[in-house]
Amino acid sequence: MHPDTTGSWTPVALSADLPAGTVIPARIPAGSIALWRSESGRPAASANRCPHRGMSLSHGFVRGEALSCIYHGWSYAQAGNCLRIPAHPGLTPPQAIRVKTYPVEETGGVIWVAMGEPSANPPKFEGFVALRSLMAEAGIAAIEAAAGAKASPAGLVEPAESTGTICLLLSAQEDRQTLLHVLLKGEAGTAARIAASRAAESLRRKAEDLQKKGIAQ
Amino acid sequence: MTMQAMIDEWYPVGLFSQLDAAGRGTALMGEPIVVASDADGNAKVTGGNGRVLPVCVRYGHVWSSLGAPKKALFSIPEADQTGRRFVDVGVVRVRCSPLRAVENFLDVAHFPFVHTDILGAEPHTEVQNYKVEIREDVDEVWATQVKFYQPLAAKSASGGITTEYMYRVPAPTCSVLYKTCPPRPSEWDVITLFVQPLAEDLCDVWPWMALFDDTTSLTDLIHFQQTIFLQDRSILENQIPRLLPLDPGLEIPTRADLTSVAYRRWLKRHNYTYGAQLVAQ
Repeated sequence: MHPDTTGSWTPVALSADLPAGTVIPARIPAGSIALWRSESGRPAASANRCPHRGMSLSHGFVRGEALSCIYHGWSYAQAGNCLRIPAHPGLTPPQAIRVKTYPVEETGGVIWVAMGEPSANPPKFEGFVALRSLMAEAGIAAIEAAAGAKASPAGLVEPAESTGTICLLLSAQEDRQTLLHVLLKGEAGTAARIAASRAAESLRRKAEDLQKKGIAQ
Repeated sequence: MTMQAMIDEWYPVGLFSQLDAAGRGTALMGEPIVVASDADGNAKVTGGNGRVLPVCVRYGHVWSSLGAPKKALFSIPEADQTGRRFVDVGVVRVRCSPLRAVENFLDVAHFPFVHTDILGAEPHTEVQNYKVEIREDVDEVWATQVKFYQPLAAKSASGGITTEYMYRVPAPTCSVLYKTCPPRPSEWDVITLFVQPLAEDLCDVWPWMALFDDTTSLTDLIHFQQTIFLQDRSILENQIPRLLPLDPGLEIPTRADLTSVAYRRWLKRHNYTYGAQLVAQ
């Protein structure tokens, strides 16, 4: 991604896929994260590991404005500090007990997570509506080849066949996987949304085939 | 990986009641083994290259070792007590370190969150102070006076009670739990966790019980324990790192974790590090 415009922001999920009071796993270049939204609607991101016993926090649960680990119920604030250790209800957890957190922003229905302190806001794609996300077993080069178009500095690909109706926002994952967020131009009706969804799936299959052939050669 | 200190220990490798002449292929610390019954009906364990491994049969299970065990298998006196029901629960395979499986068994603080409405329930989350020691005469880790509120402590329980627990770790991958026995307040129910290390990050867990319970069906007793151990598996397969960190720093214990702290210290003291992660690695 272009350092001037995007800093180190990663598009990790769509806003619609993270309702209030839930937590999901996601990935940024620094590793696995727990992405969650408090009951009042504020999104947050932390390292996906409880420092008590190493349990994955994305298996945890959200209550109020805190994320709790499913193993022993230790709960963490959006700032990462431990709020409560249920085994010792009278204890105020020491400040040293905390999880690493990352800045989160939402724009245009996309949730962005940054590493470090970003110098700019995440990119905005004016006139687009977020439709859905897909995971592809293919690298970015294979997706660009399948789309017949290069990704922009912000990670946006406009497939040649789509004639400007859809865009794909790419985020590289582990093991040559890529997360694709499908963005639709303008407010589209149900039929157009279904068509765009199928077009994205078709493009994913094409990219995965290219990826397999590439490895075979 | 250091296998040396643990190689001479006994490990469970199967149920005695399930033996047959054809044998069952499994593994012990990375080595393929076959557990079978011989012509006389005795248990026989063979290593990867056909070598015959040491065998003993106790507590419903066949035990073996890749090395030369220096002492007999630890004793559980309750296994010889009349009036108890002995229950072979079966096996649960878990993609985790055998040491992490034992450590989870020693923990009560997770009951309200992992075994919700069975072994624990909010708001009864507090772990009161209890006693932990390494008993030098028998070289075992012991935790006593562990008390915890349980909505459904056992199949034989009716309603919530404060259960008292005692834990014993007599071998690096085995633990024996003594627990309040609802129908007989003067006795302890015995529930064990026998862990077969298949690899450093893969194990077969063989729970076994010696209970005072004349009314619950065997199926229900087994289902109760299977439910509990499957709930534990969802935790154990999602801990990072997969190996048990023996050096402080990577994980943060509290007062409720004193049994785990003593267990880790005891493992380290004996170089029981198969399935452990050390800072030096």
